[in-house]
Amino acid sequence: MSKIEIRNLTVDYTEKKNRFTALKDVSFSIEDGEFVSVIGSSGCGKSTLLSILEGINTPTAGEILINGEPIRGTGTDRGVVFQHYSLFPWMTARKNVAFGIKQVNKDASRTERLKIADAFLEKVGLEGFKNKYPSQLSGGMQQRVAIARALAMDTDILLMDEPFGAIDAKNRTILQELLLELWEGDGTGARKTVVFVTHDIDEAILLSDKIVMMTANPGQVYSEIKVPFDRPRNRAELVQTQEYNQFRNKLLAMFYSDIVSKIGGNEVVL
Amino acid sequence: MTFKKRYLRLVHLLFIVLLLIQLLPDKLSGDTYAQYVVWFAVGVEILTLIVSSFIKKPIGLTLFVDIVSFIYGLLIAWTLATAKFNLLKPALFPPPGRVFWQLIGDYEKIITNIFSSVGIILQGYLLAAAAAIILGLLLGSSERLGNVATYISKFLGAIPPIVYIPYGIALLPTFRSVSVFVIFLATFWPVLAGTMSGVMNVDKKTIDSAKVLNVGKITMLFSVILPASLQQIFIGCNQGLTVSFVLLTSAEMIGAQSGLGYYIKNYSDLGDYTRTLVGLIVIGIVIVVISFVFNKIQKYLLRWKH
Repeated sequence: MSKIEIRNLTVDYTEKKNRFTALKDVSFSIEDGEFVSVIGSSGCGKSTLLSILEGINTPTAGEILINGEPIRGTGTDRGVVFQHYSLFPWMTARKNVAFGIKQVNKDASRTERLKIADAFLEKVGLEGFKNKYPSQLSGGMQQRVAIARALAMDTDILLMDEPFGAIDAKNRTILQELLLELWEGDGTGARKTVVFVTHDIDEAILLSDKIVMMTANPGQVYSEIKVPFDRPRNRAELVQTQEYNQFRNKLLAMFYSDIVSKIGGNEVVL
Repeated sequence: MTFKKRYLRLVHLLFIVLLLIQLLPDKLSGDTYAQYVVWFAVGVEILTLIVSSFIKKPIGLTLFVDIVSFIYGLLIAWTLATAKFNLLKPALFPPPGRVFWQLIGDYEKIITNIFSSVGIILQGYLLAAAAAIILGLLLGSSERLGNVATYISKFLGAIPPIVYIPYGIALLPTFRSVSVFVIFLATFWPVLAGTMSGVMNVDKKTIDSAKVLNVGKITMLFSVILPASLQQIFIGCNQGLTVSFVLLTSAEMIGAQSGLGYYIKNYSDLGDYTRTLVGLIVIGIVIVVISFVFNKIQKYLLRWKH
């Protein structure tokens, strides 16, 4: 049994009498401990897909099973990191993390929660900023806190919706490596199942076991590709290999063939 | 800051002028209690020197000495126009020394009246704010209820609360309960409107990030929606506070046997304009102090902004 099974998912929106299909008959599955990236140009429904996984949206048809059980709303088995607004601006970094812990672990005392929060903030390199409010932190630091919270909640599944999309290139690299390091761990423990939405091909290759490529109008799965590189991965070494560049070019070709086919139609995207 | 910037300022010259004009002969008959003006000025001057020595920001110091300069200037003009040259009607415009003397003489009575007025305001205001915030949170969480409640509270809030006074007097047994009732109404509607507008405008993304944490209903209401709407709630609270003072002092002038409004009304009826001025000054000070405390609380609770 797969950890997550997405079955014939269809989502229609009605906006001002116009019916719009965000997702059409999307099916794929994710194994336990697998890191899967969902990639595609804007409007391909990848964020809609994730919002259904999060439990804040419901599909028009089809269903998602987690451990064989259909999703009913949000759940403590899933931790989420958004691109923006993951953190509550009125809570300090450690309060934000501790608040997340409280929702999944009602038994832990306040002191225990703060202790766990501090430990995870240290893991993301923010021990000196734990009493700062989000408005006092840079975008990259805020995402570190959001990641610390999601990890501290210790859920089986981690859902990430373009978490580094608004971060500058240098910090994005640093955050990708941090995420990879935290997720891979020391290689002995069980890894979390991650669904990671992005539009950055290099990010998807570096992080994932599997890439699900989607096309827009309506959102559909174009292809599922296994990433053939061994872990632990080292970005600097990996990007220099021929295999990496061949793989990347193959993905880019798929990515653009989708867009080109759209241009060939009646609608010009570029 | 340089020594010159700290200490060589016009305000100290005004202080000396204020002291020197006390040496002029009085034209007004009777004691003008000039020594009270001198004591007051010396007190303010010592405070100014302390602030000058310890304040860090030049802008803050300039603001402070400008305010003190205004007070000195006012006292100089007031002293000259009354005690020294007798340009104004002495019965309506007592010299400043007499006002200070009366203020100290009536010390106990004034404290009692402050407690009476502030007690009524706090009781009505706090009850109304608590009730309105809780009700606003509940109503605002439902779009349908929130929309209808917004219109109803706009209508009921548009009625000037002072018109409830006669009805309140018929309805309730004591002046105190009428005052609390009217202040309650004056505070309740703006705070309710502010809370509902805050709750209904909480960013959906904030709600979503709370939802994915799987928070319960109560936590959502008090740990997420309440802080997210706090700024709007404070707008309502501010409005309620301003109206409460106007109302209470007006009400006290109509029917009370105690309170600051009563103090002013009573003595102006008796033609004692020295005490009328004392009452005006005390009300000003009380309102400034309460507003200051309120702003500090607001700033503290919204410290996470910016």
